[in-house]
Amino acid sequence: MAGLISLMILISLAGALITFLAKTREQARTVALITSIISLAIALKIFLGFDSSISTMQFVESYSWIPSIGVTLKFGLDGIGMPLVLLANIIIPLTVFFAWGETKEANRFYGLILLELTGVMGVFTSLDFFVFYIFWEIVLIPMYFLISIWGGPRKEYAAIKFFIYTHVASLVMLLAIFALYFNSLGITGRASFDMFELLKSYQVMDGDLIRGVISLKDAVFLGLLFGFIVKMPAVPFHTWLPDAHVEAPTAGSVILAALLLKMGGYGLFRVILPILPFSDSKGIMITLMAIIGVVSILYGTFLALAQRDLKKMVAYSSISHMGYVTLGAAALVPLSVSGAMYQQFSHGLITGILFMSCGVIQHSAGTRIIHDLGGIAKYMPKLTFVMLLGFLASLGLPGMSGFIAEFLVLVNSYFTLPTFVILALFGIVFTAGYHLWAMQRAVFGTYNEKLGHIHDGANYEIASMAILVLLVLYFGLNPNPVLNMMTVNAEQLVKFAVGLRGVMI
Amino acid sequence: MFSDFAALIVLLPVIAFVLTLFLGKKLPHGGAYLPIAAIAGSFIISAGIFLEIYPEGIVQQSIPWFSSGSSTMNMGILIDPLAIVMLLMVTFVSLLIHIYAVGYMSHDPAKSRYFAETSLFTAAMLSVILSDNILQFFISWEVVGVCSFLLIGFWYHKPSAAAAAKKAFLVTRIGDVLFLAGIVMLYVELARIIENPANAFEIGSGNFILQFKTMFEAIPLIDKTQLTYITLLFFGGAVGKSGQFPLHGWLPDAMEGPTTVSALIHAATMVTAGVYLVARTFPMFAATPDTISHGVPDALLVVAYIGGFTALFAATMGLVMNDIKRVLAYSTVSQLGYMMLALGTAGAVLGSKAVGISMFHLISHAFFKALLFLCAGSVIHAVGTNDIREMGGLFSKMKITAVTMFIAALSLAGIGIPFLNIGTAGFFSKDMIIEGAFEYGEVTGDMIPYAFAVIAALLTSIYIFRLWFMAFTGKPRSERHSHESPSVMTIPLMILAVLALFFGFSHTGFYGYVESNFELMGVDLGVHEGEPFHPSVIVILLPVIVGVVGFLIAYLIYNKRILDMSKIISSQNPLYKLLYNRYYEPKIGADLIGVKLTHDVAAQTGEFIDRKIIDGLVIDTIISSTIFKIGEVIRKMQTGVVQNYASITILGVALLLVLLRLEFGGI
Amino acid sequence: MGLYSYLLISIIIFTIGVYGIITQRSGIKILMCIELLLNSANLNLVAFSSFNGNATGQVFALFSIAIAAAEAAIGFAILVALFRLRDTINLDNINILRW
Repeated sequence: MAGLISLMILISLAGALITFLAKTREQARTVALITSIISLAIALKIFLGFDSSISTMQFVESYSWIPSIGVTLKFGLDGIGMPLVLLANIIIPLTVFFAWGETKEANRFYGLILLELTGVMGVFTSLDFFVFYIFWEIVLIPMYFLISIWGGPRKEYAAIKFFIYTHVASLVMLLAIFALYFNSLGITGRASFDMFELLKSYQVMDGDLIRGVISLKDAVFLGLLFGFIVKMPAVPFHTWLPDAHVEAPTAGSVILAALLLKMGGYGLFRVILPILPFSDSKGIMITLMAIIGVVSILYGTFLALAQRDLKKMVAYSSISHMGYVTLGAAALVPLSVSGAMYQQFSHGLITGILFMSCGVIQHSAGTRIIHDLGGIAKYMPKLTFVMLLGFLASLGLPGMSGFIAEFLVLVNSYFTLPTFVILALFGIVFTAGYHLWAMQRAVFGTYNEKLGHIHDGANYEIASMAILVLLVLYFGLNPNPVLNMMTVNAEQLVKFAVGLRGVMI
Repeated sequence: MFSDFAALIVLLPVIAFVLTLFLGKKLPHGGAYLPIAAIAGSFIISAGIFLEIYPEGIVQQSIPWFSSGSSTMNMGILIDPLAIVMLLMVTFVSLLIHIYAVGYMSHDPAKSRYFAETSLFTAAMLSVILSDNILQFFISWEVVGVCSFLLIGFWYHKPSAAAAAKKAFLVTRIGDVLFLAGIVMLYVELARIIENPANAFEIGSGNFILQFKTMFEAIPLIDKTQLTYITLLFFGGAVGKSGQFPLHGWLPDAMEGPTTVSALIHAATMVTAGVYLVARTFPMFAATPDTISHGVPDALLVVAYIGGFTALFAATMGLVMNDIKRVLAYSTVSQLGYMMLALGTAGAVLGSKAVGISMFHLISHAFFKALLFLCAGSVIHAVGTNDIREMGGLFSKMKITAVTMFIAALSLAGIGIPFLNIGTAGFFSKDMIIEGAFEYGEVTGDMIPYAFAVIAALLTSIYIFRLWFMAFTGKPRSERHSHESPSVMTIPLMILAVLALFFGFSHTGFYGYVESNFELMGVDLGVHEGEPFHPSVIVILLPVIVGVVGFLIAYLIYNKRILDMSKIISSQNPLYKLLYNRYYEPKIGADLIGVKLTHDVAAQTGEFIDRKIIDGLVIDTIISSTIFKIGEVIRKMQTGVVQNYASITILGVALLLVLLRLEFGGI
Repeated sequence: MGLYSYLLISIIIFTIGVYGIITQRSGIKILMCIELLLNSANLNLVAFSSFNGNATGQVFALFSIAIAAAEAAIGFAILVALFRLRDTINLDNINILRW
């Protein structure tokens, strides 16, 4: 069994290279689709062999790389990473299939998509901070090009804004990683970038960054947190996201929202939660995270209400939904944490549908401005059907995966953060508000004759969305396959926090 | 034997939904026979189960759904008396309305979508009724809401329909969020109780955390203040779904959907889910502390007042509406208020009898209100307009519709003969509610709910007979040639009319059966059963008297025309204006709160903060421009003279040497 | 003369070279100063080589002289090209790389 993870990563990397070299569009997209499906098959094989009753790393493989500074190529999966690897392997083939009609520089387009797959899988599987950081940065580059080559009118602005924001955050994170590294080096006298060793060494870190102002522990914690919440993104570091989404091509948006944002959440579970209980001012840190989460939920919702561009609205809804991840993580109750993890998985699926809908509408009607649309259901019945289901899922309709996640987060966060939960609940009405308002104005009502004759989405587009809809429904009715993986790890993470708040349910 | 197939009650319509959705277009009548067959199947199974378990059986089936740690959510079925009467009513009414819709929707090109959606609706509604836990209840409740949204917006190309659908969903969503908050608080309370070893509270084997059974057993252990919050939040959900004040505004607008939808969803079934919720969790309501009025649980007091006020409030608006369906919609709101009133007032003094009283009105209301809507649909089908001012003189043309509608009106107005116990369904059910409210007044000295109920009864009678006289008597006011509807539509009318007339006679058996519900569940209600109830003659007579008086008023004004209404209903009359504009509820709700406050103020403020403060001020003005200015200064060092660079390099080396010397003490 | 004297001479030559590079404006003079720097380094190499009884330093010095010759050739070629283009080899006037 050993080697499955690196096989998966290498195949997607090789596929990306072959796609770059492909001569024709036909070859490029075929290679991309086949590669991503092979990767999906491997991911499914891992998933089937995955034991969800234990919290330790499985499928671990380790290769020495730079021994002098302690870097090893170490990969492994547990209940935190597995669902996201699965999600990445679901999203990428569907994105390739959805973008089947791409004509502009097809070989590079599909190649970059596969490179994204390589990057995110690396992030979700690597157990070495150095390698983790490399993959974390690799992810940025294809997305930068996807936006700046295939983007909309303000693509340069959006691409550079995306890059600067996330890169600055990564650098801050890198500093924190180095602080952890040298701390561990000082304690054990052995150079190692092993993630768990470094996180464990955090417990015995001492000293001050600025004496009397902030201790080194807190500084490292905040540095890591900053790296992750910018990626998520959480208010107030979110403004790159709407711009990036508005300008990005549909496939780019789907990957950005469904996978790249999840890296931030993954960081919370993988890095932040294990060290949170040992931070010097944990009470403040928890409150900080809870505030960030709730403000993101509410702020994202209200901003979504104000948007005229359908895609921008969906982008803000992502901010709002990712707020549940931060809130659930901050609550430090096992079920709220697994709810937050489930929200990551579920939001990845749902947001794919939403951005694909925006793409189809843009392609067909030539505009995404809600006021310029109207009544398109008349000519786009198939799109309307899947889009409506996607919107209902996004507004948290029970029976869809989003509800399970939000319900778990809200219910269990109430144990430790009741005030924040009540505030978050207010958001739900308005969430329904903007979704329905957009549907009513853009899709229903009388047909806006100015749009001319529009056509329904292509079959491959509708099919990709329909598969996502089915998955959303499936995971809404039967969350167990994915949720069970998360539960053990969530309990493991929260075990440290017992006594922290006096509650452990 | 039927109980083994209880799950099929829900699954059959689900299967019909999927089949109709994908195959309906190719089948005759839009595939209408699929849902009809499925719902008939559900009805037969329900009836079979009823015969099996009557009088004191319960069906309970549960499977774990998803678990995390110590608490497990489940999916399950609970068929107790409360559920079975609802089941029978919903499957039966839904069946009749589906049959009627074959005729009513025959000309609509999208009828397969219609039948798919109503089929899904029926499945979800049945799932609400059958749920044995509050989470599944909530989930089904939301799916019901979505179906309502889809069906109100069935003719989505009409902007008014799309807007009404959105309004319905959003307003009920407010209630749903309250409901969800209640579930959240309840879950946390229950989990704490279970985890606390001091309580020695264990969930029986095969039971799960959010099951009604667990909830009821835990009532004595729940903190009383929390219990009040939880029940009030639940009631918030019921207020949204059942169109109670102040969340009533969506229901009249929901009449944009096809009339069959109004009959099925917005009269007979879905809107009663709120009442059903309160009835279902009645032991919790009854266990709340009595801090406001002595002997009356707080939650029930709120239920009584909101219900009573809504009954009256909605009836006043029913008086002036000209759209036939809107009159009926306000009537529905008002009658739902009666059901809540019954749960609140009778619940406080009579205990679980209140559930029987309320449910009896719910069922009889379902029959006569569905009948009223179907008659209205028949009229609209014939006349082609909803405006009762353009109808008139239809009696001779549509005899079956006219007669059945008259029966329904009698039932709604609660006409019957006291002491002989002869009367329409509404007579029995409404009488009991008003007498219950009187009893409540007697015990607590608070006669306000009773006053609400009596005045509302008078208004009910006036508006419904106004409607009937304006539509069926007098001179025809439109040119259109109207004719009676086809028999596929009139036969359901006649069946419902029979029920609206004679269902009332089942009342003694019904009360006893439904009352026993919570005993069968093993719940101690803890509300004292009042003294045997002996109301005075005037109390018994009053509801019928106001009904008859209302009939006479309507007869004199709208048939004999002793008063010229056009003078009163001028736009100058402030009272009329207030009523006709629905107390300015759409203006306050949608325009002020929805658009002005939420969109214009809150959302635009957010947009301002995002664009101008975060992106503009912080990023552009402060961070970006600071970095830019630093760059401006530093770039001056780039002189282009090689010697300068060399000097700086040498200085740097010298500095390094000095530092090395200081640090390590030697070169 | 011990190693110390060689190193002292080497430093003196090096310092002269640095001084020349910083103060002179003519391209040719600067090139000559660079040669001084290189030669001071060569002197160092040879001195250490002799001191250690190891030929490596001398080999390196030879390498260095060869490279210095090549460098001087390229440097002068650049200056000739520059003179043709701008009619001057005063480096103060050749500053298009400034901000």
